[in-house]
Amino acid sequence: MSIDLRQLEADLRETTDVCVIGSGGGGAVAAAEIAAGGRSVVVLEQGPHWTSEDMNEREEDMLPRLLEEAGMRQTVDGSVIILQGRNVGGSTVHNLCYCFRAPEPILRLWRREFGLGSLTSEALAPSFERVERNLKVKPILEREINELNRVFRAGAEKLGYSGLVAKHNRENCVQSGFCILGCAFDAKMSMLVTYVPRAEATGARIYASARAERIETRDGRVARVRGHAVDEAGRPGRRFEIEAKVVVLAAGAIASPDLLLRSGIANSSGLVGENLHLHPQVMLAGVFEEPLHFYRGIPQSYYVDEFIDLERDPRAGYILMPVSGFPALTAANLPGFGRDHFRFMKSFDRLAGLLALVHDQGAGSVRPGASFGSPEIRYSFVEGDRRQLTEGLVRCAEVLFAGGARRVVVPYWVDPLVLEPGDDLGVIEERGVREGEIAISAAHPQSTCAMGSDPAKSVVNEFGESHDVPGLFVADMSVFPTSLGAPPQITTAALADRTAHHILERWPDLAV
Amino acid sequence: MSPAPALRTTRRGFLSLAATGTALAALARLPMACVPSANGREAAFFTEREREILTRLVERMVETGAPEAPAVRETRAIPVIEGICAGLDPEISGVLPTLLRLVEWGPLLFDFTFTRFSRMSDAEGDTSLRAWMTSRLGFRRRAFYALRNLAFLGYYSQEATWPLIGYRGPILVREEAPA
Repeated sequence: MSIDLRQLEADLRETTDVCVIGSGGGGAVAAAEIAAGGRSVVVLEQGPHWTSEDMNEREEDMLPRLLEEAGMRQTVDGSVIILQGRNVGGSTVHNLCYCFRAPEPILRLWRREFGLGSLTSEALAPSFERVERNLKVKPILEREINELNRVFRAGAEKLGYSGLVAKHNRENCVQSGFCILGCAFDAKMSMLVTYVPRAEATGARIYASARAERIETRDGRVARVRGHAVDEAGRPGRRFEIEAKVVVLAAGAIASPDLLLRSGIANSSGLVGENLHLHPQVMLAGVFEEPLHFYRGIPQSYYVDEFIDLERDPRAGYILMPVSGFPALTAANLPGFGRDHFRFMKSFDRLAGLLALVHDQGAGSVRPGASFGSPEIRYSFVEGDRRQLTEGLVRCAEVLFAGGARRVVVPYWVDPLVLEPGDDLGVIEERGVREGEIAISAAHPQSTCAMGSDPAKSVVNEFGESHDVPGLFVADMSVFPTSLGAPPQITTAALADRTAHHILERWPDLAV
Repeated sequence: MSPAPALRTTRRGFLSLAATGTALAALARLPMACVPSANGREAAFFTEREREILTRLVERMVETGAPEAPAVRETRAIPVIEGICAGLDPEISGVLPTLLRLVEWGPLLFDFTFTRFSRMSDAEGDTSLRAWMTSRLGFRRRAFYALRNLAFLGYYSQEATWPLIGYRGPILVREEAPA
């Protein structure tokens, strides 16, 4: 059952076994697994419940519907744009479907340095397998690789770079290419069409437009969630209050710590909202002789892993990925305005975008802002990350030229570089990547409620339960102790699955 | 691809912006920010005066030099922008009317030029906008990109602009809005 709480005619008070806050890659999985295990579940999602009927492939409609701040959320200093979902299904509704398990060297690092001894590939395998089965994860077929990914792959192979065709969560994909604006064909196996319906089918109540604003405790245990129905702009309507024996917080690595800090709980370590990692990325564009129509077809099917070796160094590296765009999104990433800008835009159908995504060492923080919709997000780059972003730009340019690009545009906001084959790419290294001088974006905020065995150095334990508040669990990307170094969708879902089954196994104890 | 920086000032920067905006609004005898309507994406968000400044600003932002390019005033770019602003958290969108006034009076305030932005020639307007884009003040640069990206979203969402750039548009057929 899914209800939009904007329809409430009176304040709502309910009791449930488990209240899940957030319906994205962590929350939907936790809700479905717990409901399937026989517990009553209420899911609170601050965004509306859009369906494929609402996905009209139009930027002006879908960006405000699917993304926090219409896709313009950013760090306080404006240097990093952060893309996050705000709808039932969360970011899985707009993501681009890469499916990777947590790399073993990262799990090893977490075991060694954060005391997470039980997080082995073997122990996590049942959760990964269950999630991959439910999300229908499978490799992209050769015939599904679009022109953008073909030129990317051709360039990378010509240079001898290691790369591979990824696995995705798609079924009967029509290759429209509008994935980031929501799938109108229900072919993207997002939470919206997999775990959310599964949760509903097993009795979970999904409350959309329901913003959790405070988690309360009683006698030291989690007890209640309070909040308001909200419209799309976040303006409050009716109140709600959900009594629950267990609360699973899965609102993402920005909203989850924000809510804990506003609630004044679970922060004896002082680390709630700290340790923010972003997987920051920079991008550039190649201009080809013939139209590529880079916005058609599966946007990201191939990627280059030549420059990340987590066995050698689990704290550094970057991957190269293609990036497509529609007119307004592309325009926003190209430099200048007026005619200076249009000289790039007129090549729109001949563009190919590439990005370098960095496994970051830099860290930031999340603090409550003036409103629930505007948390204060800070992030500081370390020199190593800047160097990797710069190197990533150079590699992207090399690959594009090797793939046949006639020009490469490095989109510095002022005095962008326009390079031609044979030009010295050292000019990119000379300019480098500095905050505020080039677009830096991030779609994977993580690590703000980090997992660990030591309550003084972490927020939750290896099963996601708060060290401070019994019955309070966190099940989203905020539990990663470090940057994951890979697209996080499947790892987030698998850890949430593990947390859900742990809750079910411990239920007699948790139901006090 | 993801959008480029939009407006977000530090608390101090915001206060400074707001204070300057208040002074300029008094100077211009303009009403302060209207409260956005909750009704849909076509809600009126700006006053008539602000809308005129916005229109002039969008015209300069998306100037193509191509004779076949549709004029901003002949498209629904401005209503689209207003609808998006009306749907944002008021904490975020509330600063936009003030920001437009700052753009309008920016030439006087920052460049000591005694002409409002909306009354400038094309070349003068572009010079004024370039000053925002390259300003040493972070809040001015962020404000520039906030307005620039709204302008792009409004203009390039218009089907009449797509032939200019070779965009084939959605696969789905868009339902016509009821009259």
